[in-house]
Amino acid sequence: MKKTYTFIIIAWTTLSSSILGQDVEGFYKQNCASCHTIGGGRLTGPDLKNIHLRKDEDWIKKFIANPQAVINSGDAYARELLSESRGVVMPKVGGLTPFIIQSLVDFIIDESSKEKSKYGSSAIADRPLTPGDIVKGRALFLGVTKLKNNGPTCIGCHSVAGEGLLGGGLLGPDLTNVYGRLGGKKPLAAWLASPGSETMGPIYQKYPIDEEEVLPLVAFFKDKTLSNVTEAGVHDFNFIIIGFVGLAIVLVLFDLFWGNRLRSIRRKMVEGKI
Amino acid sequence: MDIRSQISMVFHLDKCIGCHTCSIACKNIWTDRKGTEYMWWNNVETKPGTGFPTRWEDQEKYKGGWELVNGELKLKSTSKVKTVTNIFHNPNMPTMDDYYEPWSYKYKDLFDAPAGDDQPTAKPISMVTGEYMDIEAGPNWDDDLSGSPIYAENDINLDVLSEEQRDQLFAIERLMMFYFPRICNHCMNPSCVASCPSGALYKRGEDGIVLIDQKRCRAWRKCIAACPYKKTYYNWNTGKSEKCILCFPRVETGQAPACFHSCVGRIRYLGVLLYDADRIEETAKHPDHELVDAQREMILDPFNENVIREAKKNGIADSTIKAAQESPVYKFVKDWGIALPPHVEYRTLPMLFYVPPMLPVMSSQEGDSVRSINEEYFPDFEKARTPIKYLAKMFGGGNESHLRYVLKKQSAIRAYRRAVTVGDIDMLDAEKALIEADCTPQEADKIYKLTSLCTFDDRFVIPAAHREEAIEMMKDPLEHKQEAGFGFRDAPARGR
Repeated sequence: MKKTYTFIIIAWTTLSSSILGQDVEGFYKQNCASCHTIGGGRLTGPDLKNIHLRKDEDWIKKFIANPQAVINSGDAYARELLSESRGVVMPKVGGLTPFIIQSLVDFIIDESSKEKSKYGSSAIADRPLTPGDIVKGRALFLGVTKLKNNGPTCIGCHSVAGEGLLGGGLLGPDLTNVYGRLGGKKPLAAWLASPGSETMGPIYQKYPIDEEEVLPLVAFFKDKTLSNVTEAGVHDFNFIIIGFVGLAIVLVLFDLFWGNRLRSIRRKMVEGKI
Repeated sequence: MDIRSQISMVFHLDKCIGCHTCSIACKNIWTDRKGTEYMWWNNVETKPGTGFPTRWEDQEKYKGGWELVNGELKLKSTSKVKTVTNIFHNPNMPTMDDYYEPWSYKYKDLFDAPAGDDQPTAKPISMVTGEYMDIEAGPNWDDDLSGSPIYAENDINLDVLSEEQRDQLFAIERLMMFYFPRICNHCMNPSCVASCPSGALYKRGEDGIVLIDQKRCRAWRKCIAACPYKKTYYNWNTGKSEKCILCFPRVETGQAPACFHSCVGRIRYLGVLLYDADRIEETAKHPDHELVDAQREMILDPFNENVIREAKKNGIADSTIKAAQESPVYKFVKDWGIALPPHVEYRTLPMLFYVPPMLPVMSSQEGDSVRSINEEYFPDFEKARTPIKYLAKMFGGGNESHLRYVLKKQSAIRAYRRAVTVGDIDMLDAEKALIEADCTPQEADKIYKLTSLCTFDDRFVIPAAHREEAIEMMKDPLEHKQEAGFGFRDAPARGR
């Protein structure tokens, strides 16, 4: 028994590291590129070029492993980063092992040394946003138009003030002001192109949001942010009203179906009503 | 032919004195448990009256029994679709008020009351809530109350009468009443069995007793709505429905059911009938006024060689066939044709038959002597106090000819017996009357004997149960042969 376990563990570690050895770049693309560039300026997160010169490697590894913990520990530099990104905390990426983290750091250092890194800019087209984009983006957000690659509709987990009869889902954060929060078009587009959070990442890796769909969504979110609405509360008044109306309809239906059930015969008879 | 045997019954209403001994005998044996307080598997009603539960014959409300829809037999209360739509609520249930809220009395107060100016009283307590209660109704609330403006007047069978006839019936000194004892009819086409979604109800193959499997019952209570006689009851304590079991543990050991055994008026007869199960559906589809004849047609002659051969082929024991030949029920129903099924128009083909009452005995007192008012041997039934229409609604499926036949025959036999024993009626006239009533002196003697001088063994002809054969249908009697001999419920940990 013991031997089998040992074998499995050895096989697992070598296998996974070998896969990663080939594809640390892929991992970076999927999980990091949505918020970071290497030499292309900041998106949601800071530019990673020459990061090893700003902070020592141990700190970087600790931060990648658990950003929130480092921030909570009161680290001054981490707090500075937090305020630079307007309070957006870097998500903890799923599936990280010390080996992967080391590989990532090596990869970033390697890319930093290049004259012009592949990851120096985001891949999103740089055309201006049109009013038509807003309409299209709204349809995509509400799920009126399905996402091209069958990814789940935004409203399933997110809400935006004033959109949808019952508001949106409560699983993800409210997106009313996401455009401002993430810092504008470029960071938001980069995020949408490959969402990196623990919840969204695995889903949209499989069913990515198409490039054609990113800009309309950005336009929609920008419009919302600019229209200066406050975020929708969880206790939506509409929801209660609809609940009551639904209840009334159900009760009326009950009465229609079962209203003529057998009620007391004897009492009616004694009271002379039969 | 698919011949089955059925233990069936005759109640002779002219002999019922309404003493409720049957109800009490049943109650003491079967329904004195928690949850069964309100049940009366056997009850005795006063007719005209509304019975128990109140107005149970009103199928517009209670939705019991079968109805013919486009030539097909359908349950009035339920169907597969209705089972789904009513899955959370069964809409045709009698309320507790339609039965009654069972109560007892606080007898302790009689002993514990402090000395005072008044007698202590035992206040009624609800057996459901345990609180003090005002008694508003009971299972025989209208006992002997014929003519009462609420209960008797609301007897639904009176609807067939004209306004004038109704008024006459309720005029003082023209009141009439009779008792109507009821148990489960153990029908040939039981609607309770058909209605059960769990398949918990079944009609026993060997003797036709209708039972509820207490393990399979899932408290749907469909049977309660579906039984037009309202003879299945829901036990709120166990969450299972219960009904008259015709005292099968007694019947299997050769004893009459408790209500039969205890009957003071000896009105109850029990015996085997053989019937053709292939014809049940066809029979139940006849129009109302043909139903009595059709049902009688289904009951087969136990002396017919063909019938005996087919019965044996179906596994009916010789002892059962012999019991069928001696069956008093067969005589009343088939030979003499004077016992009729109750409310046959519900199409459940009840296997409890009633000899309708010959009400009233028309006589008057003059000085010290009592004499018959009618000079004729047959009272004119058209002018009798009990309207034939009313009896026909109860026992003839609305067909008055059956009632006229039965009453005529019974009164002819009375006249004949009077000619024999008293002699103030001319024998020739009496015999002529018998012939007109489709009877012979020999038959009249037999009817007289089984009606008036019947012994225990005449009334109850109970075949051997042959449970061993019934059990063989379900399991192999040799299943545990050569296995552990000390009980099978808790098998030893090792060895078998």
